[in-house]
Amino acid sequence: MALLEIKNFSFNYPQSPQPALKEINARVGKGDFIGITGPTGAGKSTLTCCLNGIIPHFQAGKYQGTINLQGASIFDRSTAQLSRLVGSVFQDPEAQIISAEVEQELAFGPENLGFPPAEIKKRIGDALELVGIPELRDRPTVSLSGGEKQRVAIAAALAMLPEILVLDEPTSELDPAGTDEIFRVLNLLNKKQGITVIIVEQKTEQLAAYADRLLVLNEGRIVIDAEPWQVFSRRRELEEIGVKIPQVTRLAGMLGGNDSYTLPLTVEQGYIFIERILRR
Amino acid sequence: MTPKVQIKVEKLTYQYGSGQPALKNISFEISKGESIAIIGQNGAGKTTLAKHFNGLHKPSFGKVYVDNSDTGTMKVSELARKVGFVFQNPDHQIFNDTVGKEVAFGLKNLGLPKQEIEERTATALEAVGLTDHCRAYPFNLSKGQRQRVALASVLAMKTETIVLDEPTTGQDFRESVQIMDMVRKLNECGHTIVFITHDMSLVARYARRVLVLCRGEILVDGDVRSVFAGPELLQKTYLCPPQITNLAQRLGRHSIPPDVLSVRELYELLLKARGEKIGCCS
Repeated sequence: MALLEIKNFSFNYPQSPQPALKEINARVGKGDFIGITGPTGAGKSTLTCCLNGIIPHFQAGKYQGTINLQGASIFDRSTAQLSRLVGSVFQDPEAQIISAEVEQELAFGPENLGFPPAEIKKRIGDALELVGIPELRDRPTVSLSGGEKQRVAIAAALAMLPEILVLDEPTSELDPAGTDEIFRVLNLLNKKQGITVIIVEQKTEQLAAYADRLLVLNEGRIVIDAEPWQVFSRRRELEEIGVKIPQVTRLAGMLGGNDSYTLPLTVEQGYIFIERILRR
Repeated sequence: MTPKVQIKVEKLTYQYGSGQPALKNISFEISKGESIAIIGQNGAGKTTLAKHFNGLHKPSFGKVYVDNSDTGTMKVSELARKVGFVFQNPDHQIFNDTVGKEVAFGLKNLGLPKQEIEERTATALEAVGLTDHCRAYPFNLSKGQRQRVALASVLAMKTETIVLDEPTTGQDFRESVQIMDMVRKLNECGHTIVFITHDMSLVARYARRVLVLCRGEILVDGDVRSVFAGPELLQKTYLCPPQITNLAQRLGRHSIPPDVLSVRELYELLLKARGEKIGCCS
């Protein structure tokens, strides 16, 4: 059984003539690292809102089809139930962080679920440790940098011990070092803790390096669902949709690369590929 | 003839409140017609520096001159005719209830005749691809579209210098390229362009000169090729050149230079390197 299964799912915002999502089909297994990319307005954020219960609990609309999480429909569950299963991190951490101090921010979710103080303390400590920011525990949230705020938002989601972490462009305001930091943390959570990661991202170089699978959305549909090298081998299609191909992958494509061995996804792989070509 | 100096920064120090200075004793000049990128980590002082160009910040110590006038003695409204500013967050900028009014607002303040206002508004909206949204309520648009509304209102002012603070954040790939292509066109028409970004491939593609800020100081100031060719210096401030430059720098023993800026450039160098190899073996 897939952890998450989306079947023929469509969604219409009220008063919108066009559906935002059209007949979406996708399966996510436990421990997957899934990247979602595509142009603005493609439906990426709408899709994430369907996974964490914002749709239909806070955002009305018409939907068809099913989204099952651990075998049961997401829409039959309360937001409280969903919050234990799906952790959410949004694009703008300032819109997410509500507490004056980091510790309070992390305590908010578990407190609302009624856990005893000792359990909450432990969860806060563990979550901060996992994200690599134990030293921020007593800091006022206003004093944090953008990257720190983003990691606090991830830690707060983790304090709920979710099965799935859903992130909507969590690095858009971050510098390159901050972006790499977030992806390294996500990779660690995924590989070491087995947390399933679903991340919407425009930075395809990072998606190429870390995701097991990519979904490319365009005009409300999933137009490609494949491994990164397969996705980035479809050069013309991606150019038409407006998805950036990582520079090393594009270079290898121009030099005749066309399979998982000859389409590098990182600088390291690109280096090996070029060395091989030049040795021939 | 040396080109006219558009912006001159002289021993600029800036302090928010009483804390550590955000900018420390910075000096440089920007000439008319330049296209310059300002890069650096979050918190390096990029936006703080840029806000000195339109007078939103005045130096705590030192001077900033725009068009030979000291910004310390100029009103923000005077500077607005010389320096256009596109903010990182368009919602800090947009306040009118239609896109058309937003773009026309600055022009009305200049006291231009009605017909010219209409013409300039239409041209600017066309340039950013929002002609059809002239009557739309700005806050019903996507963030990428709102960013372009902000850009259009600056375009319409036809200022000599245009400053863009992370103009492509929140934009998808195609929108980013569209915006930057437009900025390049303005530069080719003689406008001086200053842009702040975290996207090194945009720097490689669109800037000629790059200023690297690190904790309120200028770490490097040079042409894009030479700055990206020395990655050790960039690493100091946790930046790294574009992926393709990075790859080229690992291929030095094949006589690939360290200052490659585009995929096309490396592709052609590699074809040549491979050709020579085949030539010498056969």
